[in-house]
This record gives sequence, C-alpha cells and structure tokens, in this order.
Amino acid sequence: MEIFLQQLVNGVVLGSIYALVALGYTLVYGIMGLINFAHGDVVMLGAMVTLAVVHLLSGSGLPGPMVAAIGVLAAIPACMMTGFLIERIAYRPLRSAPRLAPLITAIGVSMLLQNLAMMVWGREYLSFPQLLPAATYPIGGASISFIQIIIIVSSSLMMAGLSYLVKKTRLGNAMRATSQNPEVSALLGVNVNSIISVTFIIGSALAAVAGMMVSAYYGIAHYDMGFILGLKAFTAAVLGGIGNIEGAMVGGLLLGVIESMGAGYLGTLTGGAMGSNYQDVFAFFVLIVVLIFRPSGLLGERIGERP
Amino acid sequence: MNLLEISDLHVSYDGIKAVRGIDLSLEEGEIVSLIGANGAGKSTTLKAVCGITPVHSGSILFEGEDIRSIPPHMLVKRGISLVPEGRGLFGRSTVEENLKMGAYSRRDKGIADDLEKIYALFPRLLERRSQAAGTLSGGEQQMVSLGRALMARPRLLFLDEPSMGLAPIMVQKIFEIIRTVASTGMTILLVEQNAKIALSMSQRGYVMESGKITLSDASSALLENPQVKAAYLGQ
Ligand SMILES: Nc1ncnc2c1ncn2[C@@H]1O[C@H](COP(=O)(O)OP(=O)(O)O)[C@@H](O)[C@H]1O
Ligand SMILES: [Mg+2]
Repeated sequence: MEIFLQQLVNGVVLGSIYALVALGYTLVYGIMGLINFAHGDVVMLGAMVTLAVVHLLSGSGLPGPMVAAIGVLAAIPACMMTGFLIERIAYRPLRSAPRLAPLITAIGVSMLLQNLAMMVWGREYLSFPQLLPAATYPIGGASISFIQIIIIVSSSLMMAGLSYLVKKTRLGNAMRATSQNPEVSALLGVNVNSIISVTFIIGSALAAVAGMMVSAYYGIAHYDMGFILGLKAFTAAVLGGIGNIEGAMVGGLLLGVIESMGAGYLGTLTGGAMGSNYQDVFAFFVLIVVLIFRPSGLLGERIGERP
Repeated sequence: MNLLEISDLHVSYDGIKAVRGIDLSLEEGEIVSLIGANGAGKSTTLKAVCGITPVHSGSILFEGEDIRSIPPHMLVKRGISLVPEGRGLFGRSTVEENLKMGAYSRRDKGIADDLEKIYALFPRLLERRSQAAGTLSGGEQQMVSLGRALMARPRLLFLDEPSMGLAPIMVQKIFEIIRTVASTGMTILLVEQNAKIALSMSQRGYVMESGKITLSDASSALLENPQVKAAYLGQ
C-alpha cells in the first residue's frame, strides 16, 4: 500500500510535466492539424536556458529558489520566441503543402535544435544544482518532497489558467473557432495567422516551464532530453485525444501514473526479470494500445475530421 | 456610386479557370440574385470578393475602394459578411458561442442587444442556445449561420445557397427571414441554385454559366425569359 501511494505521488508529478508538454502538441494540432515534432526540443531549450542562467547566478549569493525563478523567467521568453520563429520560418511557408511536408520539416527542426544545443552546451550530461529545499513531508505512509509539491501546484495553476484563457477570453474564442474552421473564422474577423503564432507561443511557454521542472526534478539536462520526453508527451496527447485540451491534461496525468506504477511493480510482477529501467517501455506500449483500440483517444473525437 | 463593383474578375484554381471575366455590381439597398448550375463559379466569386480565394485579375471596388489587397479578416469590419455554402458552423461550439463569434470584430456596447434581436428573429435558437451547433437540424443550422453573419452588422451580405439541403417548408421559413432582413435596407447578394425563389425576392439577377455572366436583367424579366425558364425553372 505504501508503494502504491508513493508511486501514485511520483506518477502525478511526472504526469503533471507530461501534461504541460502534451498541451503544446495538442494546441498546435487542434489549430492546424500539425504534429510539431520539434516541441520536445523546445522543452529541452527551456531546461538549458534555465540552467545557463542558474550557472550565471551561481556566485551571486541569491537564495536558490530565487535563482530558479529567475532562470525559468528567462527560459519562458526564450522558448516563446523559439516557438514563434519555428512556426514562421518552418511551418507557415508550407501551410498549403501536402501534409507530409510539414511533418518532415518538423523532424528537421527538431534535429536542428538538438544540434544547436549540442554545439552551445556540449554533449555531456549537465547536472542541475539543488536549488530548492530538500525537505519531504509524509502523506499517509508515503512521502512528498518540496519540489514535487511545487511541480504539482504550479502545473495545476498553469493548466487552470490555460483552461480559463481558452474557454473564457476573446483570444480563446478565436482559438477555438480557428481550430474548427479557419476560413470562416477569418471571415468573422479573426486574424488566423496571429492566432496560430499565439498558439505556438503559449505552447512554448508551457514547454519552458516543463523543461525547467524536469531538469530540476531529475537534477540533469542533456541536449537530446527533449526527444524521449517529447515522444512521451505526444503519447499522452494521443491517449487523451489529440486536439483536445482536457484530453492532454488527463492523458498526461494518466501516463505518468501508469509509468510510475509500472516502474514500481514490474520487478515484483516479473520476479525480478524486468526492473524499473523498463519504465520507458510503458509509454510506448500505451501508445500502441491506444492506437489500436481507441485511435481518437479517451476524450477525442477529432481524428479524421480534417481533410 | 455602387456599393460593390466587380469588373473583369478572373479567378483560377491551379490553372482551372473558375471565373472568367465577370462584371457585377450592387447598389446600396438592393437585393440581387446570382443564379447558375453547380460548378458555374458562384461560390468562387463570393470567396474572391471576401479575400479567401486569390484573384487572378480584375478589380473589386467596395464603396469605390479596391479591396483586393485587404486581408479577409479586415473586410468584416468594413461591412462585408458571408453566409458560406454549407453554413460553416463551429459544430462543437454552442449556438450562442457561434452567434457571439459573429460579433468578434466589434468592440461596441450593442452586442448583447443584437444577440437579443437575433433570438427574436429566430426564437428556435433561443431554445437551443446552449446546444452544440453541430447537433442542430439543417434549417436550424442555417439560422445560426445567418444569425452569426448578422451579428457583424454587415452593410453587404452574401448568402451562398441558403436553401441548400433544406426541406421546402424550411426553405420558405429561411427566405421569410431573409425578406425581413432585406426590409431593413441591407444590401444582399443572393447566390442560389433555386432560381425561382431567388428571383422572386430580388430586384435584379445575374445568370452565371461556366465562369461567365451570360444574362443580367430585372428579376421579373428573367422569370419570363425563355432560356432561364428552360434551364433553371424547369418549365
Ligand atoms: N478549392 C477548389 N479547388 C479547385 N477547384 C475548385 C475549388 N473550388 C471550386 N473549384 C472549381 O471551380 C469551379 C467553380 O466552382 P464553384 O465556384 O464552387 O461553383 P458554384 O458555387 O457555382 O457551384 C468548379 O469547376 C469547381 O470544380
Ligand atoms: Mg457554390
């Protein structure tokens, strides 16, 4: 029971991060039917920029949490700008091209970002210093650390903020309209190009925070960390129903919990033959199962709707 | 000065010439029909004026100003609205959300009042205001599409086949409402395959065939024209 509770806590933390990243995939897919495979690398960039700022401030004597906050506040605009430029330079010229073209371009952009990051930050694993208090708190036999609480609380706040934005604001109305019918939205006065830009910018801001969280949580950053993370978040988005915002949130949390439970029990279930290092397999197992049995995802209805 | 003046308009899709040099004009307050068979180029003409489909050559003057270089999202502010073929609703949004999107370009205080007016015009929609638009019947969807366009307070309204796919009784209902709207002095270009009903409520009409305007006359004259009778009125 303790293991269960502990893995649940760990899974929710991991799932919160997946959800933030999955939202970036789902927002862009919802607006323009494109899978932005470079999104995971924007997450990596968020981690790297945060880390660079943290190193810069290492001798400053500022308290750790403040250093972390300044780091992420620098990473957010850097990622927003990157997301904006990716769309403008790589995707917009291909807006009316066959769908395979932007998909291949997306993979190209992903490789470009990874290679740039490798040139700037090297190929070694970089360690992310411990900036937050190492305190842990007991909950019902398990324990939750300070950073875990921060991750859960701040990602919940961001997701609530995003839901509000999409459902209740003028910008959100335009986003929802554009995702359903860009041509008619334009006729009603929506500047579809700006809405697409804003969508990339919002997704990238969430990615920046997720990148900071994941590297602070695991204490590590690497130029290709965005690849697997991106793939898992994409899985989460598909699990929830790609294009569906609540779906990305639910899918992210669910995938985090599934993975974490798998890691916790796999050794016991297989009599030690498989350990928690098989954790990554779960995400892709889930992806395959979803694609076979419910390709539109848990909350989705959109796949196949676009021409 | 004409409200809308199209001269020698050419539009093509990847080399397929859909509109081949048409002239068409609308005076303020007029209701004009544009009739023609499927594939004649009617919708393409409307889309070209609205800036959705690129114009190959020709001029489009709205209030005397060439609007070809104005992006589509800026045209609604100038007073041009389109009720698109097939209605173009936001199917997963509610009826009310659809109607409110019609006023997206407006910043004035009159939006709530106008919404009430739309509900007065279409009491059915008031009952269904919280329902997803995609779940409505064809006639109700057409009402939403029309209501949404009116929410922009247009000066020039394009209607692209409002009768398409509707039961005869619904067609009567929709056209009754179009008459009501027209009586407010709004300028309307009515595109229809149902030539009879379109000509019966417009002052003038154009007949389009294979991308060209082949006839243009008073609607009453077109209704009596033997060619029109044979080709479009089934007589
Ligand atoms: N998006 C498009 N791409 C290519 N051809 C098109 C497109 N839309 C319409 N067409 C062609 O242009 C011609 C005119 O079509 P349209 O304007 O829709 O006619 P109408 O509205 O009078 O039925 C037709 O031959 C049609 O096949
Ligand atoms: Mg048509």
